[in-house]
Amino acid sequence: MAEMWISMGPQHPMTHGLWTLKVKVDGETIVDADPELGYLHRSVEKMGERRKYFMNTTLTDRLCYASSTTWTHSYVLAVEELMEVEVPTRAQYIRTIMLELQRLASHLMWAGAYMPDLGHITGALYFWRDRELFLNLLELPSGSRLLYNYMRIGGVKRDLPDGFEQKTERILKLFEQRLDEYADLFENSKIFRMRTEDVGKFTGTQAMNMGITGPNLRGCGVKHDLRVEDTYEIYEEIDWDICTREAGPGYSDCFSRYMVRIDEMKESVRIIRDCFKKMPQGPTMSSRVPVRASGEAFRRTEDSRGEALMYLVGDGSDRPYRWKIKSPMFTTISACPHYLKGYKLADIPAIMGSIDICIGETDK
Amino acid sequence: MNFKDLQKELKAIKGVSNLSLIRQNVIKIDLEKSVSKAFFTQLKEDFYFEHCSLITAVDNQPDFELVYHLSCLSGELTVDDTRMSAMIEVHIHLKRDSPSIDSVSDLWFGANWHEREAFDLMGIYFIGHPDLRRVLLPEGFAGHPLRKDYVYEIHEEEW
Repeated sequence: MAEMWISMGPQHPMTHGLWTLKVKVDGETIVDADPELGYLHRSVEKMGERRKYFMNTTLTDRLCYASSTTWTHSYVLAVEELMEVEVPTRAQYIRTIMLELQRLASHLMWAGAYMPDLGHITGALYFWRDRELFLNLLELPSGSRLLYNYMRIGGVKRDLPDGFEQKTERILKLFEQRLDEYADLFENSKIFRMRTEDVGKFTGTQAMNMGITGPNLRGCGVKHDLRVEDTYEIYEEIDWDICTREAGPGYSDCFSRYMVRIDEMKESVRIIRDCFKKMPQGPTMSSRVPVRASGEAFRRTEDSRGEALMYLVGDGSDRPYRWKIKSPMFTTISACPHYLKGYKLADIPAIMGSIDICIGETDK
Repeated sequence: MNFKDLQKELKAIKGVSNLSLIRQNVIKIDLEKSVSKAFFTQLKEDFYFEHCSLITAVDNQPDFELVYHLSCLSGELTVDDTRMSAMIEVHIHLKRDSPSIDSVSDLWFGANWHEREAFDLMGIYFIGHPDLRRVLLPEGFAGHPLRKDYVYEIHEEEW
């Protein structure tokens, strides 16, 4: 049969954001793909060069609409490295709690978006119902539901409100019950497994070479998590484990990538509980935060989607001279021809959904 | 392989200078442009840097600088007794009148779009890149906006 190109996007239910996936098909089988980006490019790096260091936290919030605090945190961490700012211990605990709440909200957002891709609309409603609980929690200290602007250079905006621990505990308990319900609804569902198992396979070695990190890499059984391996905040004092899953020896499929995120949510619950247990009293903001900086610094963090890296160059003024954002999804999308080839056209939503795309951070 | 042995071996390689330790698990080096391809091949094949985290182009006026962040994710490189993953930061100086360098996208597929982005926004040419097109800006866009001498022109449209 003659081969032809099909263009999916920029307006297409599969895309989760504005981007185009051109696929070359031979009948129903994918033989090549060509992703195209740029529809959401806002030149954040260039805008950042004109703004003062502390003003950029509003831009980083808008990098990813599903996981905004983790991006601001990544930026703030790099600036602190550049300015050599010490963060108080209590602020580090609060940050860790916020990061994990955000990771829960982000993974729930992803799971909720993934289910309609597979034709399971009910799943979206269930997952987003639970995401709402975590958005409510994130709203309490920060005052907003989507773009928090809570992380500040040298600490956090304000201390946690009264009763936050009890409210969180109540929601975590409810959420754990819900996770068991999901296991019945999805993991044990034959239809869900037929759509996701043995689809979109790649090995761990390939993934590292293609620049795929985060849950997608841990779904191949590679025990790599920057929260441990390039540790920041207080993750090394907390009692938790890196989650890995495998579909087979050293490779992942859509189902293992789904499962690793479910496991991570359970781990996040554990981290939050342990943080509350060990959190000391004290200030939440550093007393000395400089305005100017020179030299260069970078930090990488484990974003909800993979390795986030912020590289900053200062020239002694109060604005960054160069600010570079590494988005995990940028390289993951670039590798999509590799893991789409050979599958059917109808598998595209299942595969592209399973890698958790966020175009805001990708297009910068 | 241990991180300390790696530092010793790197010092012996021709073209490498100013080796320093930024953090416990991060080495920073300067590299000569002429030996870049051979050096990166060696990093990947012999020293377990199997992941290209980032390629950044910096406009240092007048000249450019390329910064490569490469990391080892598999744990083959051990940093003392910790579980940290090793990383290397490579700085390469590029002259402004010849902003070109050998592409590394055949070594790390993940470098492919980082190079396209550096070409798109900073105008660095990667020799041997399979598909050096703009990636974020539309085709036909004039200039490279992250360069410091880029002038934004407001085009008044006729309505």
